[in-house]
Amino acid sequence: MAVVEAIDLKRTYRTSTGTLRRKWKDVEAVRGVSFGIEKGELFGLLGPNGAGKTTTIKMLITLLIPTAGTARVLGYDVVKDAREVRKRIGYVFGGERGVYERLSGWDNLRYFAELYGVPPDQQKERIESLLELVGLKGREQERTEGYSRGMKQRLHVARGLLHDPPVIFLDEPTIGLDPVGARELRGTIASLVEAGKTVLLTTHYMFEADALCDRIAVINKGEIVAHGTPGDLKRGVAEGAVVEVEVFGLPDGTVERVRELGGVRSVSVEEREQAQVLIVQTGADVELTHAILGRLNGANVGRISRREPTLEDAYVALVSSEE
Amino acid sequence: MTSLRIFAVGGLISFRALFHWLSPSIYIPSLIVAPLFQILLFAYIGRSAGLASDEFYVVGNAIQYAAIPCLFAMTNIVGGEKFQQTLGAILVSPAPRLPLFFGRAVPVVVNGAFVAAVALLAGTIVLGVDIPASAAPSLAVVILVAAFSCTGLGLITAALALRIRETAVLTNVLFGFLLIFTGANIPLDDLPGWMQNVSDVLPFTHAIAAARELADGASLTSVLDLIGEELLIGLVFAFLGYWLLRFFELQGRRHSTLDRS
Amino acid sequence: MRTLRLLAVGWYFQFKAILRSPFEGLFQVIYPLFFATVAFLMFRAGTDQKTLLYASLGAAVMGMWSATSTTAAGAMQRERWHGTLEALVASPPHFSLILLPITLAMSTVGVYCLVATLLFGRFLFGIDLTFEHPLLFVLSIVGTVISFGALGFLFAVTFVRFRAAWALGNLFEYPVWLIGGFLVPLVLLPDWVRPISWALAPTWGMNAIRESSLGGTPLPDLAICLALGAAYLTIGILVLERVLTAARKRAALSLT
Repeated sequence: MAVVEAIDLKRTYRTSTGTLRRKWKDVEAVRGVSFGIEKGELFGLLGPNGAGKTTTIKMLITLLIPTAGTARVLGYDVVKDAREVRKRIGYVFGGERGVYERLSGWDNLRYFAELYGVPPDQQKERIESLLELVGLKGREQERTEGYSRGMKQRLHVARGLLHDPPVIFLDEPTIGLDPVGARELRGTIASLVEAGKTVLLTTHYMFEADALCDRIAVINKGEIVAHGTPGDLKRGVAEGAVVEVEVFGLPDGTVERVRELGGVRSVSVEEREQAQVLIVQTGADVELTHAILGRLNGANVGRISRREPTLEDAYVALVSSEE
Repeated sequence: MTSLRIFAVGGLISFRALFHWLSPSIYIPSLIVAPLFQILLFAYIGRSAGLASDEFYVVGNAIQYAAIPCLFAMTNIVGGEKFQQTLGAILVSPAPRLPLFFGRAVPVVVNGAFVAAVALLAGTIVLGVDIPASAAPSLAVVILVAAFSCTGLGLITAALALRIRETAVLTNVLFGFLLIFTGANIPLDDLPGWMQNVSDVLPFTHAIAAARELADGASLTSVLDLIGEELLIGLVFAFLGYWLLRFFELQGRRHSTLDRS
Repeated sequence: MRTLRLLAVGWYFQFKAILRSPFEGLFQVIYPLFFATVAFLMFRAGTDQKTLLYASLGAAVMGMWSATSTTAAGAMQRERWHGTLEALVASPPHFSLILLPITLAMSTVGVYCLVATLLFGRFLFGIDLTFEHPLLFVLSIVGTVISFGALGFLFAVTFVRFRAAWALGNLFEYPVWLIGGFLVPLVLLPDWVRPISWALAPTWGMNAIRESSLGGTPLPDLAICLALGAAYLTIGILVLERVLTAARKRAALSLT
């Protein structure tokens, strides 16, 4: 039995504009998302901002009721058995808010330790070891209003692990952390999985998903557009090549013209400081560099390179193909 | 003529801004229902203490409660602008300051008077107090002067709003002082001497006294001196507030404290 | 029992957080003193020389009620602004066990108000404090704090849909002062108001506190006060279920 099951989850938001004459608009944030996570798996939900990752995770941790579909964690329905689910999961959302600013880090953790039913005689020990784990040792007596963003993030992580839950949900946990801190956190996540925990991680960092996850689902505009191990996803683009052309002033219509070339799988543009980089994914046995240059209408060109595709390319291809 | 336009247009825009902030769900409980309950509360306490008449408390509290809209609105107009970061833009404009600041005060005065008038009417109906209908126009004049006078005080709190964050505490504390010192609930004669001295220089004291006489049937001309004193107090506070605003504005420009950090 | 421990720990940390806020802490105590001053001056100047202690006790409980009414209605809003509402809802305990400590912490601030008012009356107006039944006096205060917390709980869950919940909470400040008979004997109020007064826990808490100081039978009053508190809590819990489910449907638990 899968530890986490999402079955055709849908979530629509109703937004309104105006005060006297209200206009209602329905926004479909999640449009039928299904996946399963096995015990001990580190599952990644990868997608750009606004793709529906946070909404999906909120449904799984019982904060949002799905508009349609079901979800189960450890066999318990997230809507009907919310309490049972809450007892068994930890979640880390992060961000500037979500802690009691006038209380110290220690107090915050003590409060939530009590809420999560950590036995009183274990609380002190558990909190201390968690503070050690997230690197907040020595700062725990200060009021959290004085914490930096990164410190608050670490506090969120500690809080999510207080009751040693078997299933952990992390929503973009490394955002706001400096590179060293982020690396440490990734190490922590990996060790949690080694210890037998099941983890769902959302991120928009492709390398993070690639490095950590056993399986990944790519979500874009509320739907899952790809599903598999990092290897599977890379294989989708592996037989192929990526041509990158640095252009100063990309002429209009270039993308369409290049797309028309035979053997082109996808075309995207990345803005980099002074130039745009045209990224063209092609089939394996074609050599298209000259043809691509020919479609540039004589624009100024900088570096040109041809390389193997990475997971990032697979991802870009998946999330930009909807356009 | 430009000054007049700035006065009028600025005032009108502020009015809309004011009511945008003060939606019906806040306005009705806080400015229509609450003052009526304050009137009832003190009228009954008066009965319990065996002090003065219902009419005494209706008039006193109806006018005193205008402190809430006058002080809060004035303070928030500045505080609100500071919050929305528009204050800097306004103060950088070359518009002459006097009509600018006073233009914003007009809707506050009108609103304050409206609140007091409604409270007075509601209080007299609910408690069955007998105030001659002929006194209504004169009472309207007194109420307007009272609102003007308190808004003058509001200009000072508005100036202070440029420098302190917890303006709500300040305005609530002032409300409390006005509750005690203006004779709204305790006859001035029953206050110790030093308190009477303080009452003399606060808004509302003279207006409340005038309104009570009018409610008893006195003519408008007989209370003109009280009205005059109230007006004077209002003007003094208004100009004090104006100078304070200019002072803080200059200070603010020097030390860049005008944007909410 | 785990539940009691949970309530106690919750109360402790929420109370700590409130006390550290200048607006919520110190100001809550000072503001009612203005009304107390008016009450003292009115009773001193009046002809009906009820004991000034009566006024002092009444004003003290007015302060206690202020501390709750002006804050409790907005309790859930407050948590949402801090970003902590989600964290609280997502935790295992029934939400009432999390919200009640919050409103109890708010009503506990009322004890500071009570003490401040009594001392204020003692030192500025020379009102001597007597306690006919001192132990019951303390118990009455505790009981009143608890039932105020329960009433605050009911406010919090009922007003949560209103964006200006705090304004509605403020609306109940004056009426309860009046109808609870804090400074006005209930006999002076119109007959039809009487049943409303009897349905309000504050009325009975006031009686209990007053009678343990001035003399009388505070225990029955205290019992009724607590019973009404339990009733408010029960109603509040029933409403809470629906409120939370609706919030989860409407995605209203966070500001984003």
